[in-house]
Amino acid sequence: MATIDLGKHGAHGQVPANDDRPYHERYHAAHHFVDREHEFDAVKMGVWLFLATEVLLFSGMFVAYAIFRMMHPEAFINGSGYLDVSWGLLNTVVLLLSSYTVAAAVRHAQTGNQKWLRINIVLTFLAGLAFLLIKLIFEYYPKFVQGKLPGKFFSYPYAENPYEPLFWGVYWGATGIHASHVIVGMGLFAWLYVRARKLHFGPGHYNAVEGVGLYWHIVDIVWIFLFPLLYLIH
Amino acid sequence: MTSHADSHAEHFDAHGHKDHGHVIVSVATLRLVLGALLFFTLLTVGAAKGEQWIAEVFQVTIPQSINVIVALSIAVVKTILVVTFFMQLKYDNPLNTMIFVFTILTVAFFLGFTTLDLGNRDSIDRTKARYIRPGGTGLAGTETLAITEFAKLQAKRNETYDPHHAHHGHGQGQSITDAGYLPKVPRVGSSAQASRPVTKITLPGFAVEADDDDDAHGEGPAH
Repeated sequence: MATIDLGKHGAHGQVPANDDRPYHERYHAAHHFVDREHEFDAVKMGVWLFLATEVLLFSGMFVAYAIFRMMHPEAFINGSGYLDVSWGLLNTVVLLLSSYTVAAAVRHAQTGNQKWLRINIVLTFLAGLAFLLIKLIFEYYPKFVQGKLPGKFFSYPYAENPYEPLFWGVYWGATGIHASHVIVGMGLFAWLYVRARKLHFGPGHYNAVEGVGLYWHIVDIVWIFLFPLLYLIH
Repeated sequence: MTSHADSHAEHFDAHGHKDHGHVIVSVATLRLVLGALLFFTLLTVGAAKGEQWIAEVFQVTIPQSINVIVALSIAVVKTILVVTFFMQLKYDNPLNTMIFVFTILTVAFFLGFTTLDLGNRDSIDRTKARYIRPGGTGLAGTETLAITEFAKLQAKRNETYDPHHAHHGHGQGQSITDAGYLPKVPRVGSSAQASRPVTKITLPGFAVEADDDDDAHGEGPAH
């Protein structure tokens, strides 16, 4: 049988050594994919399936919130009264802006604008950092010191409702898991930045930017729900 | 020679696998969506503040459900915006939209079925009580008592009830988790006692204390 050369269907390592095109142009899909398009679709669907598990993880927190609030509404109103809306609002704006910069990063990868791709990745990383610092300095630390903690760790002496520790359990659990996702996302953006500097992403290949972007949007969506549910009860 | 990968390629080509071009969302669209998201964020804060203002000025009590419905509706609108344009489901393979929709349905089932029994906590259905009572309590004279109340009573009887933990709030009233799961409960010989899954479980903070005043009233005979 004659060798059939299908060109774009080659496996890894078939690129000539003297090929000096940037990575994203000479990139070949993994050998079990037909081509880069096929790989792109598979990767994206894989990310969506992962996001489904993420939503289910957070839904555990939201169900706990719903059940406990229905059982003890007055405890949740009291608990929410301790939260400062302005910090929550500021963090919401920070995350929404970062969602925009991620979407812009994907766009710049698609159009091959390397400089603005890197700038948007850095901006998103900084937004994640700002979110965490605001949360840590103005929210977590004071609450920790005052003893507004979940369950048996609760030591705040001026509670007005016996079920307030339950509210703090939901608060720390939900925002803590969310914050840990922000930390993971920052690590991913650092990774994207290193790769973007090596010209790994361009019009033909930007799977990682797209995937991390989708993850970041889901983290944003979780906060879109947490913000009104925790801060805006009365 | 045809390689493994190539034969796969031919298979896909024969079934008309075609490239669908990637949509590049315009900057104008992205900025418009960002603007809308910021607007809805301010709206949700404004709605909450406005509602408080109305309640104070007009001296009315607005039910909590209004607050929740307004906040969640705005959050849903924002989510749809993010998912449609930032996450590009509008331009994407519809299969990804289906994955997302089924995820939301699963969450709805999760929430719905967990909520179902909310009204029935701390109570036993009358038709089932006669089956539960013999094994659950094993004591005469407790027909009208909820099983959680009985667990509390039983713990007090066993001198393992710790009033300092009662305020932690594990449920409406005092549930079985306050008093029932205590360590070092002496295993009594009756079969009814054997059905209680509370012995030899040690939880931090549930140290056994010598009970003082609770048994002063002398409720019930000791085993």
